[in-house]
Amino acid sequence: MVNGYQATSLKEALKILAKESVTPYSGGTDLMIDPEEHATFLFLARISEMKNIIEDTEYLRIGAACTFTEIIENELVPEILKEAAAQIAAPAIRNLATIGGNICNGSAKGDSALILFATDAKLRLVSSRGERVLPIAEFYLGRKKTALKSDELLVEILIDRINLSNYYYKKVGARDALAISRVSFAAILNVADGKIVNCMTAFGAVSDIIIRRPDIDAMLVGKTTKEAKVVKKEYIAAYDQAIIPIKGRISAEYRKAVCMNLLRDFLESNGI
Amino acid sequence: MENISGSIKKKDHEAKINGSALYVDDHLMDGMLYGRMLHSAKAKARITKIILPELPEGYLIVDKNDVTGVNRVAIIIHDTPVYAEDTVEYVGEPILMVVGPDDQVVETILHKIVVVYEEKIPVLDMLTSDTVFFDYNYTKGDMDKALAEADRVFIETFQTGYQEQAYLETQGLIAYPQDGRMTVRGSMQCPYYVHSAVANAIGCEGKDVQIIQDVTGGGFGGKEAFPSILACQVAVAAKKANKPVKVIFDRREDMEFTSKRHPSLSTYKVAIKNGEITGMDIDVLFNSGAYTTLSAVVLQRGLICANGVYRIDNLRVGGRAVKTNTVPCGAYRGFGAPQTFFAVEMIMDHIAKEMGLDSLELKEKYMVKQGDSTSTSGKYHFHVPLPEMIQRIDELTDYRAKRKQYQQQIGRYRKGIGLSMFFHGCGFTGSGERDIIKAVAKIRKNPDNTVEILASNADIGQGLKTTFCKIVADTLGISYDRVYIDNPDTDRVPDSGPTVASRSLMTVGGLLQRAAEKLKKEWQEGKEQVIEEHFVEPDFVIPFNLKDFSGDAYPTYSWSVNAIEVEVDTLTATTKILGAWGIFDVGVPIDMNIVMGQMEGGFLQGIGYASMEQMDYNAKGIIRNNSFSDYIIPTAVDVPNLVAEIMNNPYTHGPYGAKGAGELPLVGAAPAYVEAMENALGANLNKVPFTPEDVMKILQGVNT
Repeated sequence: MVNGYQATSLKEALKILAKESVTPYSGGTDLMIDPEEHATFLFLARISEMKNIIEDTEYLRIGAACTFTEIIENELVPEILKEAAAQIAAPAIRNLATIGGNICNGSAKGDSALILFATDAKLRLVSSRGERVLPIAEFYLGRKKTALKSDELLVEILIDRINLSNYYYKKVGARDALAISRVSFAAILNVADGKIVNCMTAFGAVSDIIIRRPDIDAMLVGKTTKEAKVVKKEYIAAYDQAIIPIKGRISAEYRKAVCMNLLRDFLESNGI
Repeated sequence: MENISGSIKKKDHEAKINGSALYVDDHLMDGMLYGRMLHSAKAKARITKIILPELPEGYLIVDKNDVTGVNRVAIIIHDTPVYAEDTVEYVGEPILMVVGPDDQVVETILHKIVVVYEEKIPVLDMLTSDTVFFDYNYTKGDMDKALAEADRVFIETFQTGYQEQAYLETQGLIAYPQDGRMTVRGSMQCPYYVHSAVANAIGCEGKDVQIIQDVTGGGFGGKEAFPSILACQVAVAAKKANKPVKVIFDRREDMEFTSKRHPSLSTYKVAIKNGEITGMDIDVLFNSGAYTTLSAVVLQRGLICANGVYRIDNLRVGGRAVKTNTVPCGAYRGFGAPQTFFAVEMIMDHIAKEMGLDSLELKEKYMVKQGDSTSTSGKYHFHVPLPEMIQRIDELTDYRAKRKQYQQQIGRYRKGIGLSMFFHGCGFTGSGERDIIKAVAKIRKNPDNTVEILASNADIGQGLKTTFCKIVADTLGISYDRVYIDNPDTDRVPDSGPTVASRSLMTVGGLLQRAAEKLKKEWQEGKEQVIEEHFVEPDFVIPFNLKDFSGDAYPTYSWSVNAIEVEVDTLTATTKILGAWGIFDVGVPIDMNIVMGQMEGGFLQGIGYASMEQMDYNAKGIIRNNSFSDYIIPTAVDVPNLVAEIMNNPYTHGPYGAKGAGELPLVGAAPAYVEAMENALGANLNKVPFTPEDVMKILQGVNT
C-alpha cells in the first residue's frame, strides 16, 4: 500500500508540501531503488506547470517533471541536452525519469545535471512562501546535498538562450546502456568575430559536485584561437589542479586521465 | 538442417509468458515461516559469543545445535558446515537462521543479534594459501627432455577473475515436514544432489526425503551445489519449527555469498626447438575459497583443457585448488575450461608474435584432428571441424586481412580483431558417468497413450523439457503434444544425474531415445507401460583413470571458433565491440531456436567475463560488487552485432547426433576478446577481465 497525494496543480502541491512531511515523487525511478516503506508521496506527474517546455525572450524553460523522452522529442531542446538525455539508462526508464529528479537527486553523476552546469542553467524553486531562482552551481551543496528547502519544489529549469550548437559531450559508463557515468564531460565554445566569446566546461562523476570552473574557462575568453593556444598549457594545468577525483569503484587515476584527455580533445577539436 | 532441428513451441512457453509458471517464491503454504540467514561479518574468526535479543512468540533461531544429522553438507567432500561451528572461514558463512511468521520481524531480529568474534588473520590471496584442497598432476611424453633440449623457453603467467552467474532468480527453497518425511522444493539444477545432502544433514534415510524442483530462473552452474547447502539449512529449520520454512536470498546476499567462477593464475612454460613447440609445462592455481564444494571437478576440467586444441607431444600439467578465507567458488558454465583456454590461447598468440607469425598461422599448425591423442592420452575419436570453422570465420569477418591491417594504427580510435579455438568435453569428466552417476531414465506410457518422461534433469531455462519431449515424440512417431515432462520430483523420477556439464541432452537424452525405441517396439494400445534405461559407456571409449589422468576424459567434444572485433577509444580507454562471431558444433541441434539462444547467451556471458565483469574482495575479504550497479554484465546494446552459426557435425552416439551444447559458447570468448585488444593496442596482455582501467594503463605506458 502506497500513501500519497495526487496533486493536480502547483498551488495544491505546495500547500501539501508546506504542512506535511511528504516525499516529492516525479518519475519515481530513483526512489524505487531504495523505497522508504512508510513514506507518504507527493505525486507531481499531473502538475501541468511542471510539464512545459517553452521559450521566452531570455530562457528556454523546461518543466522539472518533464521526462527524458519528452525532452529528447522536443524541438526546442538544444542538441547537447538531448544527446546526454538519450544516453541515460534505457528507454523504459527515460519514459518515466524526469530532469527534475535527476537534479534533486543531488548526484554529481546526473547526466542531465552536467549539461545544466555547462550551460550555467538556473533553477526556479517555488514554495508557498514565494519563489527564488538559483544558479545550478549554488544548488548543489555536497554529495547528495542540495539547497532545496523541505517546502520547496524545483519547478523549472532555465537555460540561457545562447548558442549551444558548438558543443562537446562524452559520457563514459561501464557499458552502453543502463550505466551510471564513471566520468562525463560537457563543453561549449563560441567564437565571434575571430574571438572566443564563451567557453564553458563541466566535469561530472569525478567528485562530490560537478566541477564547473568559470574562472579557469575565463582564461580563454576574449582571445583568438591563436592567443588561446598560448595559454593552453596554463589552462590545462589549472584544470589538472582543479580536478581531484574521488576514489570509487573505479580508480581516481583513471577518471583523472579521462578528464584530461577529453579536455585536450575538446580544445584540439576547436583548433586550440 | 535435420528435421529434428526445426524449432517448436517450448513446453514451458505458455506458462512463462502468461505468468502461470510458479517459481519457489510464488508458493505460499499454510503456517509457512520465513527464514533469513545471519552471515559471518568476518573472514576468519572464532565465535566467542552470540547475543540474541528476546524473541517474540513464534520466532526461533536455528543453528548448528539443531542439526539432527551430520553438520556437514554432502557435496563431493563433506567439509562445508550446514551451520558454522566455533569458527567462521569467510565473510558470509552462515552462522544461524532467524525464522518466523513475519519477514519484516525476522529482519529486525536479525539486525539485533550481536556476534562477538575473536578475529584471526585471514588468508585472502591464493598465492599465500597454506592449504591445498586438491593437487593433480599428469604428464605425457618427456617434458624434462623437451625443456633440456629447447633453444628457447617462453614463460608467462595468466590471470582470470571471479565471474558471478547473475541468474535472474536468486537462490531460494522451501522445506516442509510431512508425515515424518522432509520435502524441500525450489530453485535447483540437481534434485538428487540435494536429496543426499538433506538426508545426511537431518539424519534420515533417503526414502524419508523428497526433493522437488520448481520452475527455475537460470542456474549456469550456480544452482549445482549451492542449493544442497541451503536445503540442509532450510530443512533443519523446518524440522525444528515443524512447519514449512521458506528462504529466498536477496540479490546482495546472492551475489556476495554464493558460489562463482574460480579466479585463476596459470603459468605456462613452453619449450621451443628449431622453431617448433616441443612441450608445455603448465602450472594452474585456482582459488577455491573456504570450502571444497565443486573445486575438484572444476580443477580437473581446467587441467585437461590446459593445452587447448593443440597437439603437444610433451606435456606436464599440474594444478592446485587452494583454500582462502573467501566465498567458496563453484560451477559456472564451462567450469575450469574458460580459465585455461584463456591462458593457452594467449600464450600461443604471444609465441606466434615472437616467431613473427600471426597467431592463427601458429595455431593452425598445431591444431588437433581426428585420431590424434588428447592431453590425457585418450583419442579424438571423431571429426574435428576446426579448419572449416576457421574458413567460415574468415569469410564472415575477413579476419586474416583485418588482423594485418590493424597492426599499425594511430589516432583516437583503434581497431583490433582476435580469434580463439576451443572445445567443450561433453559430459562428466572421466569415468564419472559410468562409475558415479550411473544414470537411469524412464518413460511411462499411460493408458490414454500419452507418454511421460521421468528424469531428474531440470529445465533451468535451457529448454530441456522441450528437447527431451522432441526426442521421445519423434522416436515414437507420435505427436509432441502427447509427450510431457514435469519438473523433477525425487518421489517420482529415477536418478538420471545432475543437470550439469552439458550432459543432460547428450547422455540422458540418449537414454530416453533408447527407451522410446524400445517402447515403440513393445507399444500396446491403451495399456500402461514403463521402460527404464541405464547408462552404458560407449564401446569406443578408452577408460579414464583419474589417478594419472589417462584415457578418454570425454567421449566426444563440441567445437568452436570465435572471432571478436573491437574499437578502442584511446581518450576514454573504453572499447566498443564491432562484431562477435561464433561458429559452434554441438552435433545436431535438437531445436535450432533453443540452441541459438544458448549460443548467443553464452557467448555474451563470455564477452562479459572478458571485458567488464569485475568482482573482487577488499582487505577484509568483503566482496563489494554485490549489486547489478556494481557488478556490470553486458546488455544486448553492448554487442549489437553478435553472430552465431551452427556447423552440423553429428555425433554417432548422441540422440539424433546431438552432443553437449550449454557450456561451449562461453569458453572461448575471453581469449578472442583479449587477442583483439592486443591487436588494437599493440601490446601483450595476460588477464581477464581486461577493463578500461587496464586499457588506460597500457595507453599511458605506450603514449608517455
